[in-house]
Amino acid sequence: MNYFVFRNNTIERFFPKGYQFSGYDDISLIPSDAEGYVWYYQMPIKYDQKVLAEEINGYAQKLAFVLGQIDSKKTIIALTMDSLYSVAFTDNDFNLQSAVANYNLALFGFECQHSNVKVIDITEFTRKYTAAELFDWKFYFISQMGMNPKLSNEFSVWWEKKLYSIALKRKKCLVLDLDNTLWGGVLGEEGVNGIKIGGDYPGKAFLYFQEALLELSRQGVILTICSKNNEQDVLDTWEKNPFVVLKKEHFAAYRINWTDKATNIKELAEELNIGLDSFVFVDDNPTERELIRQLLPTVAVPDFPLQPYNLPAFFKQLVEDYFKVYSVTDEDRKKTEQYKANAARAQAQHSFVDFSAFLESLDIQIGIESANEFNIQRIAQMTQKTNQFNLTTHRYTDADVKSFLSDGWKIWCMCVADKFGDNGITGCIMVTPDGEIDTFLLSCRILGKGIEVAFIKKILSLLKTDGQFFICAKYIPSLKNVQVKEFYEKCGFTCVSESKDGTKNYEIKLADADLKIEKYYHIKLK
Amino acid sequence: MTLEERVLNVLKNTFELDTVDLTCSQKTCDKWDSIGQLNLVVELETEFDVSLEPEEIGEMVSFGDIVMILKRKEVE
Repeated sequence: MNYFVFRNNTIERFFPKGYQFSGYDDISLIPSDAEGYVWYYQMPIKYDQKVLAEEINGYAQKLAFVLGQIDSKKTIIALTMDSLYSVAFTDNDFNLQSAVANYNLALFGFECQHSNVKVIDITEFTRKYTAAELFDWKFYFISQMGMNPKLSNEFSVWWEKKLYSIALKRKKCLVLDLDNTLWGGVLGEEGVNGIKIGGDYPGKAFLYFQEALLELSRQGVILTICSKNNEQDVLDTWEKNPFVVLKKEHFAAYRINWTDKATNIKELAEELNIGLDSFVFVDDNPTERELIRQLLPTVAVPDFPLQPYNLPAFFKQLVEDYFKVYSVTDEDRKKTEQYKANAARAQAQHSFVDFSAFLESLDIQIGIESANEFNIQRIAQMTQKTNQFNLTTHRYTDADVKSFLSDGWKIWCMCVADKFGDNGITGCIMVTPDGEIDTFLLSCRILGKGIEVAFIKKILSLLKTDGQFFICAKYIPSLKNVQVKEFYEKCGFTCVSESKDGTKNYEIKLADADLKIEKYYHIKLK
Repeated sequence: MTLEERVLNVLKNTFELDTVDLTCSQKTCDKWDSIGQLNLVVELETEFDVSLEPEEIGEMVSFGDIVMILKRKEVE
């Protein structure tokens, strides 16, 4: 069974096949086998504004009842209410508006109290249309439709995007061109103070674009540059042009040179340890865009506006298409810092001959913590987003993780810090009550320091102390996790079977296992 | 394509049928329920660029009815 939708009007047409629907304004039947729930009540039509306001208030109470009945581990997506048709008989009659506003506030209140409630603002969809496009009385009277059925395709597209952002899938990194993208004009020709940024149009449009991008980076999106320019010119611009908002420190990495952009972007992907399919490339030059589309088909390449005055609309679309998430975790916000610290680490690495001396110098601090209400969201997010160092690539929502915990799974996450910075929660392991490692993953930005081995050994020690004798594990190949194909072998597991698709099953006897961890990993249990 | 062929196409796509013929009606087609009727109206209005009146929608229960109503509205 798929999603079950609570509703008060005819809305079947707007949702994907397989969704099931309640009766009209009927909460007497709440199926427990639904995968998740949707709450979509539209404004009812009534002329007595007071009765109408009461009815809307009643909806919020009904939702409260439903929330008490459904499994709190299952997601319920609640759509806000938009007023479709109202006749205020006096200019100062705000009964209806305040009822709708209160209803929406109630939804946000439920969202704060219940972690399985996700509220989606319907006006994000409806404000794209006029009142006449949104609501068609004919379809209201023949089918009790609260929204024009002819908008169903547009609604479906929007709905898919919302589900996508609830599942926390988004791009990670933005690659930006400079000339005529971040400022007007060509730096090499017009000079540090000749480029158009700030002041009047078009400089103002570019300034807004930079301010918008800065905010995007604060939300955890990684900014990089790929530009054909002399690096020194750009460094001078960052230093001397007071109107430039995005400076060197806002970029996790950059390639300012005359090499082709495909090669440069591939290098950026390696340097930042992010898959190419997490990249979005923004460039005003259609030839460059075409080159990247051809050579790096997994990189997203949106068209760039011809006129700078369209930049704000372009930015909005960029966020909606690639970077919108339901909620941002603190980890996301720190990301640029972390990626930059990684680059500093890579440089420090060159000056050591002995790798373990290097690791020792890093002062690696590993914190291991059982899953709890504060880190569950981050754990679920990691299962959704981690591709490379992920042994089984099982994707879970926070509701899934919660239900595992109540089923007796052991789930830990790991945070890692070293002298260059705090990487935050960057790894997790889930062990079923039968002693099978269901999920083991690490964020790629902490790889290359042997932390994965220290982490799993520590967990195996904990399980041994708990009285476990054997642990089994699995490697399930995906397009991206080849690098961990031999991981369990390295940790002393024995491969007991391998199937045709490349899935490998492992076992380890804890009594015989080498669980010694190098001293330079400072591990703390929290 | 003739008007009849276009109507058959709409019926086929709306109700996701493998085959469709002139006998198609609410009685013979499972998916032609009230939600199906709504979907059909939207698809017909879009395909033929007409607005169907509630009275017409009410009496439209078979392929023949649809053709008759569209012809009455002088759809080519």
